[in-house]
Amino acid sequence: MSNNWEMVIGLEVHAQLKTTSKLFSSSPNLFGSEPNENVNFIDSGMPGMLPVLNWACIEKAIKTGFALNFTINKHSVFERKNYFYPDLPQGYQISQFEFPILSEGYLDIDQPDGSTKKIRIERAHLEQDAGKSIHDIDPKFSFIDLNRVGTPLLEIVSYPDLSSAEDVVNYMSSLRQTLMYIDVCDGNMQEGSLRADVNLSVRKPGGELGTRCEIKNLNSFKFIRQAIEFEFQRQIEVLEAGESVEQNTMLFDTNTGETRPMRSKEFSHDYRYFPDPDLLPVNLTDEQINQIKPSMEELPHEKMNRYINEYKIDKDISKIIIAEKENTVLFEQMINESDVAPKNIASCLVGDIFAFIKEKNTEVLSLLEFTKDITDLLKLISEDVISNKAGKEILPQVLEGKGKPNELVKKMGLEQVSDTSELEKIIDEALVGEEENIAKFQGGSDRVLGYFVGKCLKSTKGKGNPKLINKILLEKLKIINGKSLIFENCDKINDK
Amino acid sequence: MSDIDIKRISYLAKLKLPSEKEEFYSQSLEDIIQWVDNLKKIDTSNVKPLHNVTEATVSIRNDNIEKNNTPEDVLKNSPERAQNFFKVPKVVE
Amino acid sequence: MPKRQPISSLVNSLKEKKISVHELFDQFHKVAKENKNNSYNLVLDPDYQKSNIEASQERYSAGTNLPLDGIPLGIKDLFCTKGITTTASSKILSNFIPQYESFVTQQLLNDGAIFIGKNNCDEFAMGSSNETSHFGPVVNPWQNKNNPSEKLVPGGSSGGSAAAVAEGSCVASMGTDTGGSIRQPASLCGLVGLKPTFGSCSRWGIVAFASSLDQAGPITNCVEDAAYILNSISKHDFNDSTSSNYQRDDYIKDIDKKLDHKIKIGIPSDYLKNVTPEITAQIENTKKSLAGHDIEFIDVAFETTDYALSTYYIIAPAEASSNLARYDGIRYGVREEGSNLDDIYLNSRTSGFGDEVTRRILIGTYVLSAGYYDAYYRQAQKVRRLIKDDFQRVFQEVDFILTPTTPNEAFKIGEKLDPIAMYMNDVFTVPTSLAGLPGISLPSGLSSNGLPLGVQIIGNYFEEKKLLQLSNLIEKELSFNE
Repeated sequence: MSNNWEMVIGLEVHAQLKTTSKLFSSSPNLFGSEPNENVNFIDSGMPGMLPVLNWACIEKAIKTGFALNFTINKHSVFERKNYFYPDLPQGYQISQFEFPILSEGYLDIDQPDGSTKKIRIERAHLEQDAGKSIHDIDPKFSFIDLNRVGTPLLEIVSYPDLSSAEDVVNYMSSLRQTLMYIDVCDGNMQEGSLRADVNLSVRKPGGELGTRCEIKNLNSFKFIRQAIEFEFQRQIEVLEAGESVEQNTMLFDTNTGETRPMRSKEFSHDYRYFPDPDLLPVNLTDEQINQIKPSMEELPHEKMNRYINEYKIDKDISKIIIAEKENTVLFEQMINESDVAPKNIASCLVGDIFAFIKEKNTEVLSLLEFTKDITDLLKLISEDVISNKAGKEILPQVLEGKGKPNELVKKMGLEQVSDTSELEKIIDEALVGEEENIAKFQGGSDRVLGYFVGKCLKSTKGKGNPKLINKILLEKLKIINGKSLIFENCDKINDK
Repeated sequence: MSDIDIKRISYLAKLKLPSEKEEFYSQSLEDIIQWVDNLKKIDTSNVKPLHNVTEATVSIRNDNIEKNNTPEDVLKNSPERAQNFFKVPKVVE
Repeated sequence: MPKRQPISSLVNSLKEKKISVHELFDQFHKVAKENKNNSYNLVLDPDYQKSNIEASQERYSAGTNLPLDGIPLGIKDLFCTKGITTTASSKILSNFIPQYESFVTQQLLNDGAIFIGKNNCDEFAMGSSNETSHFGPVVNPWQNKNNPSEKLVPGGSSGGSAAAVAEGSCVASMGTDTGGSIRQPASLCGLVGLKPTFGSCSRWGIVAFASSLDQAGPITNCVEDAAYILNSISKHDFNDSTSSNYQRDDYIKDIDKKLDHKIKIGIPSDYLKNVTPEITAQIENTKKSLAGHDIEFIDVAFETTDYALSTYYIIAPAEASSNLARYDGIRYGVREEGSNLDDIYLNSRTSGFGDEVTRRILIGTYVLSAGYYDAYYRQAQKVRRLIKDDFQRVFQEVDFILTPTTPNEAFKIGEKLDPIAMYMNDVFTVPTSLAGLPGISLPSGLSSNGLPLGVQIIGNYFEEKKLLQLSNLIEKELSFNE
């Protein structure tokens, strides 16, 4: 059925800004505190209280402007959006309307076929978050916690350039990644740091735009996907039944996976926006805007290009690392602290370290204190002090902080034998009675070399340096001037 | 009668005008709107709105926390509370 | 009315121990407690103020007294006072006890002033006669000599503040002025009322009416007292984003200084178009009193005066409709019960606000609503700029502007029922408010009914010092002529 229809989606993303204090008050911007702990007289809308703008919010908006290719407006105005709700103490939300701080940006998202799609962003503006009403403690009452009141939000409004749930998820995750990279938002969707309103309509391919419905407040990729799929089918069913879609604000029920219209209002909303007379317009100078540029963190795609070009790391591995900003923090700290080849660090990170993180369910950033130990360990491997295999054995101990690599090597008896004379002795012993295999080797069978290396490693209990063993073996097995060295050696052994 | 929809205006303002007073306010509003209507005579096509006579501010905060009150100070005047929450009849969304 | 002692002489008496702080407080408290003109919503008794009185007395004894030490002041019930009920003369806030002190009252406390009580006012400062208070009208202490039994309005909205000073229950009082709410009652009660430049005195902690217009200021017996209070309250406040960081003057210093150069005073003919001869006479009196000085009077004309009231009665209600949205019975104030949340909102707000406040919320909601915003609100904001520009044009020619303060003397309580007739009271004060300029009302004479009338002097932005110097001169010359 849905084959004949396509969806047209625009997204309004609310990103809570990662600041110490609120947008217009000096209360802490903190999640998870005791009820009404982070509330002052401004937040609670007491008579005569006045807002004072937090400069950090302007800075974060400007950074977002640079990252998402926005025009950064030198003149922006805070306005009041008037409506009544118990978690809105002032009776209005301070937001930006006619003059937002950012306009006309875009974000490129990856498509399944490897190409990119440009998603245009109409605007982004600063506004206050509302408090929280808690409905599930008591059957008759709601409880109001104003801690979240006044938390700075950047609302990022895309054009309806998205045409599938996949697109939306890609856009949202790319947006999240970018905002986290530039330290604007912590990206924690579970705590509501990043939430989306989805505007969805359906149409026949190439046909006119349909009536849209807005699904409010989705805070996980799973819910976004579910809500879009349900709403898409719902609208198709309405249209195929010959009815028309009613423009509505929808709520998504996370239990049933369904969307339903919000309680219909007697009259439509009229927010009566007007410039907040308690605040004056924000007028920025070029200097103020450009001052922020040098402090801009590297963006995900910039980082990836650097990893590929400067560190010579494979694109696929680079992509894995840059997926989360914290990976890159860990990675770059390891690179900066050592002279181990970035390539080796990268493969250890996406291999053994990620496996460890997954298995132990630890935070990536909690490993920051062990980066020196990790690179020391990698150095021991590259310098042939221990084998790769021994390294794998030691790594989890290092990541759990159980000791320094060289101590662990000693303690676990994993030091590699790289003493040439010692290895020669072992190899000579291993070749005793192997005339048949030696002959095979000399007859052209390479496989025998592996057999010999294995045998030697076994007699060193795995601690022999495989590279060195390989080298010495080859030397010994090589025929010089038509005469096999090995027999000389054998003779010597036999002589003893 | 005017085009002033007193029911809608009072709905937006969260006021429930008693029916016997609706006419009173409606008339009053009408008179005042008519009285201020003389502004329409002025050509302001090239004038920028003036929202505030102070047009620039020095009040822009650094991102620091200041705590000068307890939750109790904020809740002290509340008509109804449950521990440190404000309490209201159930909100239906 | 008897001549009252100015703050400077009271401070001297206290210094010289001719009177104690306690005795001074008692003297005013006794009158306030009677509250015969209903000028107080709350009177603080000597016990409540005991520690403040004692601390003040100690400073006098130690010779470390502060500029306003021990001076009993009345405070309009629109200023939030920590631990003291602050109602804005509204039912909806009738039980509200702020846990914070407004910036302005804090400055007064810092300078040693002692509060007598909270002055009655129009509900949320919306009114021009102090008849909209939930706690009943304030009565003007002045009487019509031809009809002494009539109860007259004191003007509004700072009517209680004006009546309190006039009745002698405080030395001076604090008012707020949005469209004339300090100057108009000062005029009707025969007092000095100063509205400073917008941005001079912080609005932090003052119950908001119209944020782009509200400004605190003193109502006093004399110009010098106004300078004393202004010295205390005019300070930059970082917490009010509209507060100016302009370098303030010492307003007392040189207040008696003779004019050292010729000044020009403009008299706007358009203000005098439709006024009674009695009102015109106030301007003439003032002119005459200054005859001996190097002052040139110039006829000026504004182009926007006819539009000021309309502009004001769009902008002020628009801002008020939003400023008063926070009064909902949820977090503070009087909650009316209801079966659901919406009912609580509707019942609390409907029963909590009086008629005039309701009317203004409705006007404000209407002019901001979709379809009307451009025609009314935006147009008013544009005309507001024209009004400001109009003043700046006139100020290129003159140093000050002289106008009547009000178009009439104090009228009878209950006389003006029509809201528009009431709004017309603000015709001379509103333009100054829209432009954000400083204006002062000075007593200029008595009407044929023996009631006080006043003139308004308007200065340019932040020229309060010069404005007070000129006002001081006019005050002296007028009293000399009496």
